[in-house]
Amino acid sequence: MAYLDGELALDQAATAAEHLEHCRECQSLAADLQSNSRSLMAWQIEPSDATLTPGIIAALEQRQRKLERTGGLGRWTWRSKWAWGLASACVVVAALVVGSLPRMTAPRARLNSYLETTSPVRQGRVSRAVPHDEFAPTKPMIARTANLTLATKEFDKARAGLEDILKRHQGYIGQLNVSAPIGAPHTLDATLQVPSDQRDAAIGEIKKLGRVESESQTGEEVTQQYVDLEARLSNGRNTEQRLTDLLRQRTGKLSDVLAVELEIDRVRGEIEQMEAEKKTLSNRVAFTALNIKITEDYRAQLRVTPDSMLGRFRNAAVEGYRSMLEGLTNVILFLLSYGPSLLIWAAILFLPARLLWRKRRQLARPTR
Amino acid sequence: MAARGITGIVSSLSDEALILDFQRGSRPAFEELFARYREPLYGFFRRRLDNRERAEDLMQEAFLAVIRATVRHEPRALVRTYLYGIALKLLATERRKKSTKDAPLEAGPEPKVDDASEDSVWVRQAIQKLDVPEREILMLREYEQLSYSEIAELLRLPVNTVRSRLFRSRMALKNHLDPAGKMQNAHD
Repeated sequence: MAYLDGELALDQAATAAEHLEHCRECQSLAADLQSNSRSLMAWQIEPSDATLTPGIIAALEQRQRKLERTGGLGRWTWRSKWAWGLASACVVVAALVVGSLPRMTAPRARLNSYLETTSPVRQGRVSRAVPHDEFAPTKPMIARTANLTLATKEFDKARAGLEDILKRHQGYIGQLNVSAPIGAPHTLDATLQVPSDQRDAAIGEIKKLGRVESESQTGEEVTQQYVDLEARLSNGRNTEQRLTDLLRQRTGKLSDVLAVELEIDRVRGEIEQMEAEKKTLSNRVAFTALNIKITEDYRAQLRVTPDSMLGRFRNAAVEGYRSMLEGLTNVILFLLSYGPSLLIWAAILFLPARLLWRKRRQLARPTR
Repeated sequence: MAARGITGIVSSLSDEALILDFQRGSRPAFEELFARYREPLYGFFRRRLDNRERAEDLMQEAFLAVIRATVRHEPRALVRTYLYGIALKLLATERRKKSTKDAPLEAGPEPKVDDASEDSVWVRQAIQKLDVPEREILMLREYEQLSYSEIAELLRLPVNTVRSRLFRSRMALKNHLDPAGKMQNAHD
């Protein structure tokens, strides 16, 4: 029956066809089944002359307005973590429901075979991507870092100067920490990101903000990493495009469609990851990280007017008042918490204690 | 892929390409999809309901559901399977409303051509004698032309269950469609 319905794989269909040529009983059964199928076609339905109802037209127009408002369907909604995760989970669950793992390997094998035969680039995809000349940049890509430690007597002026230098050289603050304790030198720790072509000028100006105590620069060549990423990205995009074309053009079995969907999701995830890596790498090259530390030359100040003495007296008086209140509150809380228990025990023990006391007094009186 | 014509849609585009186009806002893509599946969906409902108008209503509701769901639709299955899945849900809702579980094919549709009316009635009666689960699988296979895996997906059954029930239904149908029985019925 599956053979008549075209549901057998090619090898099984060939076997069934061969059997059918020789088995009269199966031939008779096949003829009956085909006759029944033809009989079923006697039940014909009159054609529908329905057109798009006003409800459908209104829904279409509403959808069109919504699309125009939002600037197009969020076909990339699944980019969001939630949508991507849910879609992946649904596809995985659907794949498990459709069939067991051995059944899924057949469409997966067909998909891999298709990708292998249609693109030689796929051959190198699973291994480390071989960089292509077309992706090689014209000059080496170097990610630089500079470290500067300065000391200055005018800390606030130096800080303002630093921000001004940053603004003029179109940089930005990656991280900034300022410490200004009383009676201690002020310090500033910052990581600044400055365009690489402005690096030398910016460093020169920053040095003028104080006395340079230490300076260092490092450079890491990332050309190879960048070329690798570009090649892998190109491969990934090609694969994604071929998979999308495959999905559109072919109407195979449901399991094949699911296999293609799984592969597209995986490839898209890889592409996004690589794009993020590439962007990070590009930023590291385009901007130089300046680690700046500025320390103030601190001199202790002798305060002539002890303004803080009155403040200290006041603080002490307030603290004393608070302590008194705190103590009273604790006593009251103690009495409230343990008072009832103490009263009960006192009541229980009062009489025995009194009797004992009286007896002791009697014993203590001299006998006449 | 063929070039687009004046209307923007060429009938050689696959259903999946049409739904993707419609997701992007192409109304002609939806109209093409409507033109392709209007008759099949109408036939689906018409063979299972006794009311022609209701069958048309449900067919239209199925397409409305497609419009509403397109925003979040992700191509996990064939469009055909997707549409029939919607149709099955609408049918189940319709039957629940009528409070008749597995509504029988009592007053079926009018036969299309007079000289085939007797055969049509005979076939309907034969199908009606089948058990409900087997009947549905048979009709999905014979009239909607769905594959075993699509039927399994829609009815949430294992493929082997679909295969075995289909075989049983066909064997049972073979007996019901026996010409001797047909003659007896005609004389009655």
